[in-house]
Amino acid sequence: MIAFVILAILALGGGVGVVVARQPVHSALFLIMNILALAIFYILLSAEFLAAAQVIVYAGAIMVLFLFVVTLLTAGKDDAEPQESLQGQRLTAGILAVLAGGGLAVLGVLFPSRSVPFGLPPNFGNLHGMGLNLWNQDFVYLAAVALMLLTAAIGVLVLNRPPREGPKPRVKEGDS
Amino acid sequence: MIVLQIVLLVIKIVLLIAILMGGFAYTMLLERRLLGFFQLRLGPNRVGPGGLLQPIADGLKMVLKEDLMPLGADPFVYRLAPVISLFTALCVDAVIPFGAPIHIFGLTVTLDIANPSIGLLIAFAFSSLGVYGLVLGGWASQNKYSLLGGIRASAQIISYELAMGLAVMGVLMTAHTANLEQIVLYQKAHGWLWLPQIGAFLIYFVTGIAETNRTPFDLPEAESELVAGYHTEYSGMRFASYIIAEYINMITVSGIAVTLFFGGWLGPWLPPIIWFFIKIAIFLFVFIWIRATLPRFRYDQLMNFGWKVLVPAALIYFLGTAAFVSGIL
Repeated sequence: MIAFVILAILALGGGVGVVVARQPVHSALFLIMNILALAIFYILLSAEFLAAAQVIVYAGAIMVLFLFVVTLLTAGKDDAEPQESLQGQRLTAGILAVLAGGGLAVLGVLFPSRSVPFGLPPNFGNLHGMGLNLWNQDFVYLAAVALMLLTAAIGVLVLNRPPREGPKPRVKEGDS
Repeated sequence: MIVLQIVLLVIKIVLLIAILMGGFAYTMLLERRLLGFFQLRLGPNRVGPGGLLQPIADGLKMVLKEDLMPLGADPFVYRLAPVISLFTALCVDAVIPFGAPIHIFGLTVTLDIANPSIGLLIAFAFSSLGVYGLVLGGWASQNKYSLLGGIRASAQIISYELAMGLAVMGVLMTAHTANLEQIVLYQKAHGWLWLPQIGAFLIYFVTGIAETNRTPFDLPEAESELVAGYHTEYSGMRFASYIIAEYINMITVSGIAVTLFFGGWLGPWLPPIIWFFIKIAIFLFVFIWIRATLPRFRYDQLMNFGWKVLVPAALIYFLGTAAFVSGIL
């Protein structure tokens, strides 16, 4: 329980920090804090593999790429408040967040057994159980996600292809 | 009993850190002496007999130096970054079994801090966090050379981590476990894995050199282009933290290579832990030998080599191992 409270504070603090921090690198650091807190949550649920995967994939790879971009773009910029282009977006976002949270809470109270699925498969979250799940009953979803990610990767390659050169400049005109 | 376990754990942690710190100090001395011999000079040999007290002199110097911070630096991140590097470097070693379990006073003492069922993945998780020290240090210094070094570090380590992970998967599949102790025990029964996994081992070692930012992959600190890269602005103990982290990472990469491919603590006659240290020492020698021999990659060469050679090769070897283990081949 004590561990849960500490981790919950860390995770929530990380989440709030991402939004509040003015410097993008600080936001990224808060997000890493949040991710690591979640990883320890997984360990508390004895889902070690999920925890390791969370750290390796999210903290170790995705956030490093984030930082790569953020450090490249924000080098030497001052952290003054940027001009808001969309008026009243904070108010709207706040109202929507409260509505969404309230809605989820109401749903959770009304349908307690359906909104919180009980009875995870045995060994859930460790290497063996996870592998059995992914490669047996959930294989369709695994393949679907793999296909989606592959599409995204190919999309990036296609979009970033250098523009095809037009008719080749006639360099050797004098020869012909 | 629980108290005894906790006391034992604390003793093991303190011992491990002491061993790693001592290992760092003397690896550094070994490197300087060996580089000297490779270049037909003597290297540091004045402090103590044969230069053996040199690390102590270096340490004193580092402690006494002024701790500088650039005016435009981000103070919190600037101080945090070297700590991340050192912390993650030390943590990885917690799961490496340094020797066979010892039986004393009716107790079985394993020679690792923790022995989780997914030890290999835990080691990878911690080592994948180590790059933050470099990136954040480079960014927080607000110096263009530091920034370039940090950005290079992130790109390089992400690229090579992928090939490293794929290479290690082969061992994991062959031994049917991700527990490092079980992998060693598997090799005790079925022979060391470097021969059947020779491709994986070579890829692992190359990417290991890249992960530790050693020559020929020391692009993040490339002193001929970037002054000193990500740690240009650091001095005193914060600078020392980066250097300690680099050398401990070398020891860690060697330790994991020994555990995965060269039978861990296994060996005849000598006590297991001695075998483990001998094997690590051989790897450290190869690290230094490579540094003395090879020139640095150019940046585009580094990226091409990582993505177009190492990753496909690791993937092919991985698929081949998978086919072999599952009985298709």
